[in-house]
Amino acid sequence: MKTILAVDDSATMREMVAFVLESAGYRVIEAEDGAHGLERASATSCDLVITDQNMPNMDGLTLVRSLRELREYKTVPILLLTTESSDTMKAQGRAAGATGWLVKPFDPATLLEVVQKVLR
Amino acid sequence: MTRQAKGSDATDAAEAADLLVTVATTLNERLAVTAEELARSQVLLREASDELLTAFRGAADRIVAAQKQTPAEENPRADYGVVLDHLYKAVQHLQSHDLVNQLIDAQKLRVDKMREKLGEAISLAVPPVADPRQAEQWLERSRAMLDCIVAGIRQIDEDARPPRADKQRAGSVDLF
Repeated sequence: MKTILAVDDSATMREMVAFVLESAGYRVIEAEDGAHGLERASATSCDLVITDQNMPNMDGLTLVRSLRELREYKTVPILLLTTESSDTMKAQGRAAGATGWLVKPFDPATLLEVVQKVLR
Repeated sequence: MTRQAKGSDATDAAEAADLLVTVATTLNERLAVTAEELARSQVLLREASDELLTAFRGAADRIVAAQKQTPAEENPRADYGVVLDHLYKAVQHLQSHDLVNQLIDAQKLRVDKMREKLGEAISLAVPPVADPRQAEQWLERSRAMLDCIVAGIRQIDEDARPPRADKQRAGSVDLF
């Protein structure tokens, strides 16, 4: 079973992401901000990371950069799931090493399609 | 400048300063009402969201548990597909509730900060100017009040970061 780390400071959003992914058979672990996400990712081997951008303690882009510095996460797909939708932010995400950018509110079917695609 | 003209300038400046205090005070009172209404709206929204989430959890947990019990060779979507579709729709709307809550949080922060700055500006009107006959003293006080308000407005834009809900791009995907 693939393990996905969902990072978001909104408990509701984490719950929504977790439900959609669990309903499709994935195992989901959660973190409430980038710093906590980095801790969890370091402690558990994750197949995919889905992170929000604007969070306290550590934002999503910093989390992406920090994960890419870890040997285990050089090639693991990382998706940004955020309300931010500007091209500038997306370019920053790409430069940081993110695999993709999804704009909230997300469509569950689309999220699952993207997850399946990047996990292939 | 004659003594009479100076006196007239001071009176005008004093009236303008008083007007500024009145405007700031009135605005602060209105903002207090807005803050209260925002807080009430948020309570109502949170109560509704909590009820919806509880109902959602009840259904979602059952579906996920039932799917886990379904043998791997059977297609779980065949049995639960319709219910899942309904829950997926709920997921989209519950996200919107969450975004609205975050927007209200940001607006509350904005209003509270603005009230704080207006309060600071109003406090600059005390004590009275040392020499009310000097227009320059009234003007300095008014300038200080306005500087305080403008700095407050700038600070608010930096502090309050509402979620950007771009309806046209909502749900969009870019894979790099």
